[in-house]
Amino acid sequence: MQILMKRRTTGALLFTALCTAHLCPTQLSAQDVLVQASKIVVAYGEGSTAATVLTDSALLLRDGKIAFVGADIPAEARRAARVVDYGKATISPGFVLAATTLGRDADLAEGALAFTPDLRAAEAFDPWQKELAQLATAGVTSFGLAPSPRNVAGGIGALAKAGKKQGRIETAEAFVGFSLTRAARSQERMPTSLMGALEMLRDSFKTARVGVQVGPDLAVLRQVMSGQRRALIHADTFAELNGALDLAKNFNFAPVIIGARDADKVMAKLAERGVGVVLAPLNPKARIADLELPKKLAKAGVPFCFAGRPDQLRFSAALAVRYGLDRNVANAALTRTPANLIGALTTVGSLRQGCGADFVVFEGDLLDLGSRHVATWVDGENLHGESPAGAKTSQTTNSAGGR
Amino acid sequence: MTRPIVQVLLQASVTLLLTALATAQQEVTAYTNAHILPGGKPTISNATMVVSGGKILALGGADVKVPDGAKVIDCKGMTITPGLIDASFQSSNNQQDLNEQSEEVTPHLRILDNIDPEDPLFRRARNNGVTAVHIMPGTRNVIGGLGCVIKTYGSDPKSMVIKADASMRIVMGAEPSNGNRAIRGGRVNSMYYRRPTSRMGVIWSVRRAFYDAKEALTKTQGAPGDAPPSPGTQIMMQVLQGKLTAVTTARSEQDLRTALRIAEEFGYETVIDEAQDAYMVADELAKKNAVVMLGAPSAETISGSAAQDGSAPRSGTVAVLASKGIRFVITTGTNPSALPLIREAMFAHRFGLGPQLALDAITIEPAKLLGLDDRIGSLATGKDADFVIWSHNPLDPAAVAVSVHINGMSVSQPR
Repeated sequence: MQILMKRRTTGALLFTALCTAHLCPTQLSAQDVLVQASKIVVAYGEGSTAATVLTDSALLLRDGKIAFVGADIPAEARRAARVVDYGKATISPGFVLAATTLGRDADLAEGALAFTPDLRAAEAFDPWQKELAQLATAGVTSFGLAPSPRNVAGGIGALAKAGKKQGRIETAEAFVGFSLTRAARSQERMPTSLMGALEMLRDSFKTARVGVQVGPDLAVLRQVMSGQRRALIHADTFAELNGALDLAKNFNFAPVIIGARDADKVMAKLAERGVGVVLAPLNPKARIADLELPKKLAKAGVPFCFAGRPDQLRFSAALAVRYGLDRNVANAALTRTPANLIGALTTVGSLRQGCGADFVVFEGDLLDLGSRHVATWVDGENLHGESPAGAKTSQTTNSAGGR
Repeated sequence: MTRPIVQVLLQASVTLLLTALATAQQEVTAYTNAHILPGGKPTISNATMVVSGGKILALGGADVKVPDGAKVIDCKGMTITPGLIDASFQSSNNQQDLNEQSEEVTPHLRILDNIDPEDPLFRRARNNGVTAVHIMPGTRNVIGGLGCVIKTYGSDPKSMVIKADASMRIVMGAEPSNGNRAIRGGRVNSMYYRRPTSRMGVIWSVRRAFYDAKEALTKTQGAPGDAPPSPGTQIMMQVLQGKLTAVTTARSEQDLRTALRIAEEFGYETVIDEAQDAYMVADELAKKNAVVMLGAPSAETISGSAAQDGSAPRSGTVAVLASKGIRFVITTGTNPSALPLIREAMFAHRFGLGPQLALDAITIEPAKLLGLDDRIGSLATGKDADFVIWSHNPLDPAAVAVSVHINGMSVSQPR
């Protein structure tokens, strides 16, 4: 039955593609999908905002996006759509992995120079790379493809997604990646030390600020200073964090810190200056003080999320809850917060109208590690798990075929 | 009739409020019955020191009046000294970050960028009575960069800083060329295939940098339209103009003579750092009025990468410098076998330095050298309340720091 359905779907898609290409270019797009579940989290809350949750509701997916949510779905569209019913399960926004090189470090660090802010990570993206397959399995529906932390100014990061066959870039220029960590201080090129790395950045920002004509590299720094582009800075130790925060203050931008192992020591500054944090994945063997860092960040009002291997995200959030983090904040740290931190809140991280149709389906609570992960959808396509056909809402349409 | 009452009440409440605020900010503490060695001045017995708002309010014999409401701490049998100042302190154990090694001459890089207030070495120094330190970049570069003076307690480097750009370090000897290699065919696969590879080459680098700065100085004076000199050259220019203290690290006799010669050649003044062989060039040092920062005088040998400089430390150096009237301070310096600063002074005393001079060499003398004697290094009215209460005279081997205070606040951990 399932094989038959798949074939019929392929046939329909082929037909649609032909229509679009040759026969009736303006009329038809791929068929709408109506996804139903007993609980749909449209968006997790952040800060004082509460989560938006619908009960016994549906989402209408069209062209890979959320076209309508719940009661807004027009009756006609509801009738025409293919129905996927997840019954008692919960639909939540897909996880956003804020910054990753997805195992392609070598392609995302220009080794000859440490200062390369104008290089584009999107151009090193291999849409066929096998690591993309792990994303949907872990519930990750989009990710910030970041330059490697081996360069002091690594380049421009992209927002990317996995796909049914190949991945794709959603936004080619999303943020700029910097690094002050040990990885950026090579022994074989400038800089070899933290003071050298900081001086390199200070000097470049200063030149970018006063320079009349600046090259493409300094132009990127200007965009950071004017707030057009978010700066993501890798920094772990106190001296690295303090240096990054002072730099940002002097040049008047609010950065996002990646790593932030010693965040506890600069908590007041992080909160006061509206700095976000992308934490390394939590390890159950870590010291309790480290496991409680998410809780402390939340208490201070510092937005944060996790990065690392895709399969570490949900576990890290669950562990943070185990060590005192509020569940609502933990859920946001998987979805909405990372989207916000990489400047992609309008496209990913929630299931509002117009956002990508990226979601995960769980039986039970997301943060309960015993909950079964039923499915992951990206751009309106089921990339992982089940896609149960639901009861037709109207007798006039065929659940698998065309209109 | 009612109006005056309201007025009186209002006035009274305002006065009360102001008094409450003032006491919260300015809690007054008096340390009485102490033996005080104020730094640079004779000992005061049965002394009283009044501290408030992070400063010393009054200091003197038993005749000093303890203000009403002051908290009184009886220091009978104990000795109070100014907080110790280590004029050459190695902060972190992380050697890689002490120098920017992509170039040999990096005068504009700041070691202040590297400060972690929770560095365990600060805690150790503090518990041994050190309240301020001068930290310089490491000794792997010919010209390493800018040193800073900070207090040893704080949550943020900014709040700890007393002087951000306090000195520029120049290094003589074998260390800066250590690890550099000459190209002799084969694969050149490292940036360390570069000059200098020899002692001569190190001196060439120093000369070259000062030459550039000298030339830049004449240029800026001549043609205003010129492009500004590089940030490094600008720092070198400040040294030539006498606006910034040069500290030259030199250990062996030949390096000490070179340090003095280069300074004379380019007409700048330099403090000589480490200076283990200073006893051999004492007359020259005296003639040039050079100030010496003597590194770890207790050590009979030098360990670590500086060992190859070939200097021969002698315990009698302190006495020689004192007898020749050379101004010097005692530091822990770069020698990994250095003892806590107070023990270094203790050994200096043991090797023939008078007790007052030994203590001055770790308090008022470093403060003068760093240009901060108006704030730290001695105990007097108006100075920062940085002081140490010792169980015995600090030069006594039995002495321990009972409590250490920075800006009036107790910062030492209980033993």
